[in-house]
Amino acid sequence: MPKKVGIAAVAQNAGVESKDNFYDQSYKITKEILDKAGLKREELETIISAASDIFHGGISCANSYYWETTGAFLKPGSRQDGESLFAFFYGVMRILSGDYDTALVIALCKGSENPENDACTLMYADPFYQRMIGMNETMAAAMQMRIYMERYGIAEEQCAKVVVKNLANALGNPYAHRKGRFTVDDVLGSDRIIDPLTQMQIAPKSEGMVALLLASEEKAKKLTSKPVWFRGFGNSIDHYYIGDRDLLDSPLKTAAARAYKMAGISRPRKEIDIAEITEPYAFQELIWCEDLGFCGPGEGGKMIDSGATQKTGDIPVNPSGGVLANNPYVSRGLQRVVEATLQLRGEAGERQVDKKMKTALAHGTHGFAGQCHAVAILGV
Amino acid sequence: MGNPVAIIGIGQTEHGKRMDVAYPELVREAVVRVYEDAGLEPDDIEGIVSGTMPSMMEGVALTHFYLADAMASKGKTILKTETCGSTGMSLAHTAYYWVSSGIADLVMAVGHEKMNEGDSQATMTTVGDPFYQRYFISGAPGVFSMQSQMWSVRYGLAEEKIRDAAAFISLTHHDSAFDNPYAHIKKRLTAEEIKTARIITYPVRLWDVCPNSDGACAVIFASQKMVKKLGIKKAAWVKGVGFSGEEQFFGDSDKAVWQSAVLAVRQAYSQAGIKNPLKELDVAEVYNPFTFQEMMFYECFGFCELGEAPDMVLRGSFTRNGDLPCDPSGGTLCTNPIGATGLIRTAEAALQVMGKAGDHQIPGAKLALSHAMGGIDQFNGIMIVGSEL
Amino acid sequence: MAKEFRTLKTSVNLPYELAYGPIWTRFFDGLLNKKILGTKCPKCDRILVPARSFCPRCFVDTPEWVEISHEGALTAWCLTNYRYYGQPVEPPSISALIRLDGANVDFLHLIGGFDLGDFELVRRKVKNGMRVKAVWNEERKAQIFDIKYFEPV
Repeated sequence: MPKKVGIAAVAQNAGVESKDNFYDQSYKITKEILDKAGLKREELETIISAASDIFHGGISCANSYYWETTGAFLKPGSRQDGESLFAFFYGVMRILSGDYDTALVIALCKGSENPENDACTLMYADPFYQRMIGMNETMAAAMQMRIYMERYGIAEEQCAKVVVKNLANALGNPYAHRKGRFTVDDVLGSDRIIDPLTQMQIAPKSEGMVALLLASEEKAKKLTSKPVWFRGFGNSIDHYYIGDRDLLDSPLKTAAARAYKMAGISRPRKEIDIAEITEPYAFQELIWCEDLGFCGPGEGGKMIDSGATQKTGDIPVNPSGGVLANNPYVSRGLQRVVEATLQLRGEAGERQVDKKMKTALAHGTHGFAGQCHAVAILGV
Repeated sequence: MGNPVAIIGIGQTEHGKRMDVAYPELVREAVVRVYEDAGLEPDDIEGIVSGTMPSMMEGVALTHFYLADAMASKGKTILKTETCGSTGMSLAHTAYYWVSSGIADLVMAVGHEKMNEGDSQATMTTVGDPFYQRYFISGAPGVFSMQSQMWSVRYGLAEEKIRDAAAFISLTHHDSAFDNPYAHIKKRLTAEEIKTARIITYPVRLWDVCPNSDGACAVIFASQKMVKKLGIKKAAWVKGVGFSGEEQFFGDSDKAVWQSAVLAVRQAYSQAGIKNPLKELDVAEVYNPFTFQEMMFYECFGFCELGEAPDMVLRGSFTRNGDLPCDPSGGTLCTNPIGATGLIRTAEAALQVMGKAGDHQIPGAKLALSHAMGGIDQFNGIMIVGSEL
Repeated sequence: MAKEFRTLKTSVNLPYELAYGPIWTRFFDGLLNKKILGTKCPKCDRILVPARSFCPRCFVDTPEWVEISHEGALTAWCLTNYRYYGQPVEPPSISALIRLDGANVDFLHLIGGFDLGDFELVRRKVKNGMRVKAVWNEERKAQIFDIKYFEPV
C-alpha cells in the first residue's frame, strides 16, 4: 500500500460568470487537468466530486447530472455533499487504500445561477424553529462577530483590515471575483446590511470549478516533476442548535489538532509557511487564525495589526485573496488546497509569496458560525 | 484491496410511515441500536459518514448539520456522501475506504430518509436536468419502466411470462417481509391480485413498486486490529467493492444490458475472487425497487444468462430455498427509505454472514452480495461480505 | 442574468408535511398556552430549550420537563436589513440569542417592540446582557411565532 499521496496537477476557473453552462464548464475543467497531467480519461481510475444538492444548483443528486462531465463514465466514483475538502479527504483515502493510483477530486459550483447564499443556507436550519426566525450563515456570523468583539475587545476596524488585505491580494489573482485597493473606511462605510457586518465584510457569490489530481507516490512522480504531498487532514463538527454552542469555542481547534498530529506539526506558527483559509465573513479570518494556533485566544486583532498575515509577513494568510475575493460556495475549500499547492510549487504568478516554503495549510468551513471545519496540510 | 475491514455492528429503525417521530429522533433510533449491537459508546468512534438522497425529500439541506446531535457527532470527523439512490451503498464504500486506508479503526456509516414528509416522486423528478429530461422522467417509475420494457423486447420475452415472474417475485418478497422485524410493507398477496393491480407506469403495477418509507440504518466498520482488540467473534468481512456510472442522459447508454451494473459487479467479483456467483454466493441483497428490474440485475450479475431470468425465477432459483436466495429480507420492494436503503442491503448481507438474520436467516450463509443503484438509471454499487477474513 | 446565450429560469417549490414528534409537539402545544418548555438532562443537569428528546452532549434521553421563564438576557443579536428570496421575516428585524432565566442554552428568536428604522439609535439601545421578555401573539397556532418577539424589559 502507498504511504504517500501526491497532488500531480491542479486546475481552476474564474469566479466571475462564465458563458458556459454548468455541464460544459465542468467538462472543460476536467479536460484541462487531464491535459496538464498528460493523462488520458481511460487511464484515470476514480473520481470523487463535491457539489451541493439542489439548493446550490437547482438539480437534486447533483452528480447524476454532471457524472460524465468529470470523466467518470463507466468508472468508480462517489460524491461529497457541501464541503469540497471532504472530497479531497475521500480521494486521499482511496489512494491510501491501494485500490487506485489516480483520483480526480473535483468541486463544482456555479454561483451565478444560484439564489443568494443566504437563501441556500437558510435551508440548513431546522424547519420548525431556527428557520422560522430566519437563521442563516450570515445571521449566525453577525452574532458570532458581536460576541467576539465584546469578549476580546476586538475593533470593527481590525475586522475590516482583513477585507483590505485580502481584496488587495486578489489583485494578483486572475481567478478572483472581487478585488481592489480599499481602505478601512470603505469597508466600514459599505452598506451595514446585517449589523455589525457590512457588505464588504461578506463574501460574494461566485463561480468555481476546481480540480485536483491525486496520485500514489510512484505515479505522482511520473506525472509531475513538482509533486506536492498530502501530510495531514482533520475535521470536526459542533452541536446543531446555535444556542447550544459557545460560538467562540469552535470545532476548528479539534480539526486543526487532528491535522497537525497526522502531519507531525507541533508549532504551527513556525512550521506552516502559508495558509489559505475560508473566511466568508472578514472577522472569521481573525478567529480562525487563533483556532489554528497562529496566535493566542483573542489575539486575532493584534495579529492583523502586526502585519504577520500580509503577503510579506511571517505567516501569509490568503495571498490569493481568500473567500472574500472569491466564493464558489462548495468549491471554496478545494480552491484553498489548489492555491496552497500553487504556492508550494512556486506557480502562483503575481500572488506568489516570495520566500522558501515547505508546508502549507488549507482550511474550509461551512454551517452556522462554523459548525463544521476541515483542515488539510500539504508539503514539498 | 487495502487493510482488511469488517462490519461489527448494525442498527435499524422500524421502517415505515414514521410520523410519530421527528427526523433527528428517527436517526437517533438507529444510532442507539448500532452502539448497543456493537457494544460500543459514541466516544469509541473516530469518524462518521452520513447521507440521504436529495435535500428536497425533507426540505433540509446538508443534513449532517441538523442531525449532528442525533448521530452524536460533536467533535468527530464527519463526511457526507450522496450519490442519489445508491447513496446507501456509497456510504458503505466511504466507510470501507476510510478504514482500509489505515486512517481510522472505527467508523460509523448512517443512512437516513423520511420520505413521507416530502413528495418523493416530485423530488425524483428534480434529479432530472431542467433543460431536457425533468419533464419526462415521471419520477423513478418512469425510467425504470422504460428500461424493463427495453429489456423484454431485446430478449423477446413474452409479456405473460415476465408478468408471471414479476408476480412471483412480488409475492415471495412480501411474504419474506413478515420475517423481517424492520420491514415496512408486510402483506399476503396472491399472484392474481398482483397481476391485476392498478397500473403505475406500464408495465409496472402497484405491487411491483417499492413503498415510500421513513427509516435509518447505522453500520459500524472496524479494522482488523480493532476486531481483535474488541474480541469480536461475529464479524462480516468486506471481500469486494465495486461501483460504476453512466451518463445522465437516459438515452445515451444501453439499459437492457446495464453496463454500470456489469462493471460494478465485475470489480467486486475480481476482488473477492468469485468466478461462479450462482455457486459461490450464499445469498444476495439486490436493490429491487421494481420487480422487473430485479430480473435484469440477476442477469447483469451473472446469476443467469441474459434473457433467462424470468424462467429461473419461475423455477424458484432465487427463493429462500433456491440456488441463490435473493432479498430474504423482503428487499427494497417492501422497504425503501432511499438514503438508507443501499446501506440496509449491506447491513442485511452482513447479518446473514454473521448468522444474525433471525427469522429470515439463510442457514449457513458465508458469502453475501449487496447492491444498490441510483441516478437516472445511472449508478450501480456493490459490496460483498463474508464470514471469514 | 445578461448572457450571450439563453438561460432557463426555473424554480423549485415542493410541499412538505414534517413530523414534529412527541417532544416538539408538547413544546409547541406549550406555546399555544403561553408556556415555554424545556427538558432537563439527567446526566449533566442542563436545561435545554426548546425541549429535546435527548441531550446532544450526553446522548441520553431527557424525560424531565421544565417550564422556562419568559424573561432572559441577550447573548447576541444582529439587525437584518436586506432581502433575499424565501426570507421568512420582513426586514428590518433583529434576531437574537436569548439566555432565558433558568435555561442552560440560548433561545433563538427576534427582539422588537421598538423602532428599528434608525441604526444608530438601535445600536445605542440594544446591548448584550440586556433584559428581554416574551411578547405573545393573541392568535396562537402552536408554532414558533406564537411568541411575536422579545421586548426590552
